[in-house]
Amino acid sequence: SLTFQQQTTNTVEEPLDLIRLSLDERIYVKMRNDRELRGRLHAYDQHLNMILGDVEETVTTIEIDEETYEEIYKSTKRNIPMLFVRGDGVVLVAPPLRVG
Amino acid sequence: MEVSHSVKERTIAENSLVILLQGLRGRVTTVELRDESAAAGRVTSVDAFMNVRLAEVTFTDRRGAACRLDELFVTGRNVRYVHIPDDVDIRATIEEQLRAIHRVRYFGGRDKGRREFPRAKH
Repeated sequence: SLTFQQQTTNTVEEPLDLIRLSLDERIYVKMRNDRELRGRLHAYDQHLNMILGDVEETVTTIEIDEETYEEIYKSTKRNIPMLFVRGDGVVLVAPPLRVG
Repeated sequence: MEVSHSVKERTIAENSLVILLQGLRGRVTTVELRDESAAAGRVTSVDAFMNVRLAEVTFTDRRGAACRLDELFVTGRNVRYVHIPDDVDIRATIEEQLRAIHRVRYFGGRDKGRREFPRAKH
């Protein structure tokens, strides 16, 4: 059943319960294909399909400098007000990283 | 309110967030695909497996080239994101979809009609 419809138990019994603790909080989601999302978790299900509000998506690409052959990390960001995310793209879910 | 004719699909939908996407029927949204292409159009239907049918679509391929399509079918596996329009009340949409499923399931009342989850026989 959908999480916000269940009687909420206070105990943490399985890994998905840890995600339940983050409902309505801002979270960090690492996705496949070098993508990251930061947004407010409104809902999730057992597949890790999620609804995130106020989302910032970061896509990171690596470019190789033709002369020096060094790896240049570039990231592209965009904002989406409300997003449904299909669970099979999700790698991990965590509280927002406090990185500079 | 359209509900799947399949018991299996109703049960799958009822127990996952796909039910919200089913409630977007008739809305204009953007579906972003796994391969970085995107389809913006009106949602015709979404099934329990997240297969999406869209109409009046502007399809932008991975390279940015756009084309217009009357109809588009996207396999559930190929969905990465679905943009939810700002004016959608998520909780209300889900509750409405659940009510539609329950109306179909409990049609006919307690002692009439075919039962979706039969009472245990002792």
